[in-house]
Amino acid sequence: MNNNTPSQLSRRNILRSGGAIVASGAVLAACGGASHSGSIARIGSVPEIDKLETEHVSDVVLLRTAMSVEKMVATIMKDSRVTSLAESSVSPFLAKYAAAHETNMSVLAPLVTARGGQVVNEPNAKLMTAYGENALNLVEEGKTAGDVLNLTLGLESLVAATYQYFVSLTNEAALRADMMRLGAASSRRAAVAAQLIRGGTVGFSPAINEKGEELTATLPSAFGTLSAVQVVLGPVNEVGTRSPISMDTPSLNSMLY
Amino acid sequence: MVNHQVDLPEATPSRRTLIASLLAGGAVAATAPFLAGTASAADESGPSTTAPPHRDSADNATLNAALDRESRMAATYVIAVGAASGDDKAALLLVHDHHVAYAQALKGYLATDASSASTQPLANPSGSIAGMARQLAALEEETVAIHTSNLATLRGINAASLVASIITVEARHVAALNVIAGTSPIAAA
Repeated sequence: MNNNTPSQLSRRNILRSGGAIVASGAVLAACGGASHSGSIARIGSVPEIDKLETEHVSDVVLLRTAMSVEKMVATIMKDSRVTSLAESSVSPFLAKYAAAHETNMSVLAPLVTARGGQVVNEPNAKLMTAYGENALNLVEEGKTAGDVLNLTLGLESLVAATYQYFVSLTNEAALRADMMRLGAASSRRAAVAAQLIRGGTVGFSPAINEKGEELTATLPSAFGTLSAVQVVLGPVNEVGTRSPISMDTPSLNSMLY
Repeated sequence: MVNHQVDLPEATPSRRTLIASLLAGGAVAATAPFLAGTASAADESGPSTTAPPHRDSADNATLNAALDRESRMAATYVIAVGAASGDDKAALLLVHDHHVAYAQALKGYLATDASSASTQPLANPSGSIAGMARQLAALEEETVAIHTSNLATLRGINAASLVASIITVEARHVAALNVIAGTSPIAAA
């Protein structure tokens, strides 16, 4: 005799509950977005958080940001902490370059207003906080005349990189050419500053000195780079080296919307 | 042999009903990723703008012209390198290599759409390094102007970015060579 005890789980039950599980799982998956995956249930009252407005990087935003960068560079170059350290042979370059950046602002202003934007007459506050003020303080503390040219080279390289980067974000093709005209002028100024630091054809190529320190090169790379511009400024520390300051092109958090 | 089959006292849906419910479950499961994607996209969406294309075949003619120019610039530097020595030779070789890199980058970007570039030099630089630098600086200046004016017509954002990265360094070539040519540094920039 075979006592075949009936199971509580019949085939029919398994099929039915299986279908229900798949269906409910699918509904839950559809309801949950990626942003909720790591959330933990809270107990008690939670303050409402106002969602930030979605901002878009339009051509006007790029132009306004470019104005703020030009103003920042002109401001730094005209700062007394820099000008007071500059050698007499370097001072004319500082004055000419600062004036060129102010002229660039007057080139950019009509491009901004023609697109319904408001012109900018202040240095980029975020970038000044991030590295501008720090650079000026280091120049003041270092009291080294060579820092003036190093800073000038860094700032001109930064402006050139900024315009190059903006080309990839600009919608209007004609505007890309306008921006690169300004960027190319900064590139030339950077090359001249590099030649003032390490002149002649020997200064074209990257090299290191006997201590293994990197020397300034007029042509450090084949293509324009978008990485942070490194500038060595300030006093020698206890280890005998000087800290490099890193200057980044404007990003989403430092653009003027 | 006796089989004691006991049915549970509950409603018994037909096999057809069960299969139908399973099919429905499967259909929901299949659409779940799309529903989830829609839900999160709805959370993060904002007003959209028409972005320029990453690549546009309409740019090919302009890029082929740029490739031709860079190839001819490289050929010109080959002559200059042959006429120079020491640090000057190394410097001119560096600039030559840059132009080779630009030609290769443009050719790589165009891929099968690249046309055969000319290797005819644009000039025949010779004599002192200052004289050659003056001649080469003028050619670099022309090249920068060509690329910059091309930027105003390029539609693809990737091509525009590539050309912009070339302009950045070629502008340095201009100033550096002008300084070597004897131009006053304050006038070179």
